[in-house]
Amino acid sequence: MKFAEYVITGWVLTGVVLAAYWLWIVRRTKRAEASMHVDEVDRA
Amino acid sequence: MSDTTTTASSRLYRPRVSTVLGWCSLGSLVTLALFGLWGAPSDEVQSDAQRLMYLHVPTAWVAYLAFGVTALASALWLWPRTRSTVWDRVAGSSAEIGVLFTGLCLVLGSLWGKPVWGAWWAWDARLVTTAVLFFLYLGYLALRRIPAAPDARAKRCAIAALIAFVDVPIVHFSVTWWRTLHQDGTVFTDDLKAHIHGVMAFTLWFGVFAFTLLYAYLLDRRYRLMVLDEDREDREVARAIEERVGASTHAGTPSANGASASDPVAAGSASGAQS
Repeated sequence: MKFAEYVITGWVLTGVVLAAYWLWIVRRTKRAEASMHVDEVDRA
Repeated sequence: MSDTTTTASSRLYRPRVSTVLGWCSLGSLVTLALFGLWGAPSDEVQSDAQRLMYLHVPTAWVAYLAFGVTALASALWLWPRTRSTVWDRVAGSSAEIGVLFTGLCLVLGSLWGKPVWGAWWAWDARLVTTAVLFFLYLGYLALRRIPAAPDARAKRCAIAALIAFVDVPIVHFSVTWWRTLHQDGTVFTDDLKAHIHGVMAFTLWFGVFAFTLLYAYLLDRRYRLMVLDEDREDREVARAIEERVGASTHAGTPSANGASASDPVAAGSASGAQS
């Protein structure tokens, strides 16, 4: 593949950035849901 | 379950729809990678560097789409008949995704520009207007983080989003309005016909489809997170108020001179009067 370093960098970078953003959302969502559950138990 | 928890849960999307959307997005992106890296032939002039276009064009499309949704949601918030916090959240979530994809679009364009143009960057109308778009919406996201009353914040952000959106058509038509190094539209032409090899055209269109699915999925997840964050903030405020009220009730036993122990100013002045 010609210009492989540019092509592979572009595809890998896109994959990493999108995966990192998705992971950031999932982790924060789980943390928020867990804190909601703790509050629920505290109030009960 | 507390009232606030019930309210938050009822405001959220059905998780099953989100999961299906997520798997569909992932499947589409894997298919796109197979076509983009192996299935489509290499370009006669640009060689394999052209394979970056299967990402660059869809990221540009998602940026347009995301900022379009932000503008629409902001207009719906500003219009009194349709005003709802839902639109403010949609606008904020969509703008964040738009900034992410605009950033990716700029980086991918730069990676393509080096082997094809011989430069990472050129002071070209399309590139400059896209960079301006990126910083405009970065400013919008910063504006959303400035603490304020929810309605006041939503209003100023909605106005800022509509002003920033003016740059989107400027970005799109920059290649026809000015002489630019950047090529004219290949896919988003007047007749929407990409005049390229069939598999290349399919891969480009499939990329646009796959990234649109991904946008819908990320928007759903980001909106859900925003609802949970707002709910957590509400619960923290409610808890702080409860603690404050509880503390003042316990410490609120009047002293001999009638001043409350929780009021140090009154208590201090009273003790001063006694001495």
